[in-house]
Amino acid sequence: MNDLLVAGGIGVAFGCALECAGLGDPPKLAGQFYLRDFTVLKVMLSAMLTAMLGAFWGGRLGMFDSAAFYVPDTYLLPQLLGGLVFGLGFVLSGLCPGTSCVALASGRVEGAATMLGLFAGVLLVGMAFPAIEPFYRSTPYGPLTLQRLTGLPYGVMVALVTVVAVSALTWIAKRETGP
Amino acid sequence: MKLVRQLGISALALGLGAPFAGSLFRTQPRGLDLDSIARAIDEGSDHVSARQLAEWIRDRRPGLRVIDVRSPAEFRDDPIPTAENVPIDQLAKSHFAPGQTMVLYSQEGAHAGQAWVMLRSLGVTQAVFVPGGLADWRDEVLYPLLPPNASPAERARIEALSHYFGGSPRIGAEQGGNVASATRIGHGSRRRGC
Repeated sequence: MNDLLVAGGIGVAFGCALECAGLGDPPKLAGQFYLRDFTVLKVMLSAMLTAMLGAFWGGRLGMFDSAAFYVPDTYLLPQLLGGLVFGLGFVLSGLCPGTSCVALASGRVEGAATMLGLFAGVLLVGMAFPAIEPFYRSTPYGPLTLQRLTGLPYGVMVALVTVVAVSALTWIAKRETGP
Repeated sequence: MKLVRQLGISALALGLGAPFAGSLFRTQPRGLDLDSIARAIDEGSDHVSARQLAEWIRDRRPGLRVIDVRSPAEFRDDPIPTAENVPIDQLAKSHFAPGQTMVLYSQEGAHAGQAWVMLRSLGVTQAVFVPGGLADWRDEVLYPLLPPNASPAERARIEALSHYFGGSPRIGAEQGGNVASATRIGHGSRRRGC
């Protein structure tokens, strides 16, 4: 029960942060795909950077055991296809599952439409699951991470991702303040 | 803009400091903790009976993960309901969340017991196994032998559990022949290996 309350609190905070970043607004989100609006990239990069540095240094300073973090398994082909379908829905509706809840909460009807589509999709996949299960479990790679893929030490990988993310964020900031 | 720049610079500092921070995982050079393994075996906290597992599945115990360590072909043949298939050679690559209870089973229990030791050596302490494996599942849950002197309440409990999983209990003593044939079936399947 306590866990549920904590999860609820984190969820509300997450939704507020998304809304504050302007991610409840479909045209803004779709703008990312046409390279007109870089809000999504900014939010994603800064969130990943914060989470990665927090997970690394928190683990290093003994605040928690990073080895216990759950890393979802990689199934290459099905997840590539899933990503494509997801992206298609994302650009069509201008919302992803999380931001559709945010959009609905702030009173946008697009949010309700996207959530309806989301549940319809979940239901369809659930009913078709026996037929697509072999594909769903094909090309398994286990819990794949960048550091496992490249064989580099964790710290080096963290530094590389930081450099890439900060450079991209600097580039976006320059582009927005520029001409 | 100033704050954003400061945040960016601190992120860069933290990120570039990471390679010099040393090893992240406190748990990485973890050997086999033989004392705790011996204690778990001694206390019996390393295993659960098939009937206990059946009650957990029926009661939808939160965080329960039933893991079949046999080959995918055997798994397809006769899995325990709600089980997922993680063959022994995939076990080390799998991830287990801290809040979960893993119940391992195999055909007869030997492989599940070995898988339990493997998981312990990987630092997974929240796993148990079914000692008699699927054979026990059949004999204790699906087709349990009802002791003739069992109380009506206990008989009802065993029957309900057996029916829940689509089995039916056998009656002891009175139907000797029936029991014998059922046991023979049990033995036949037991010989299939671990």
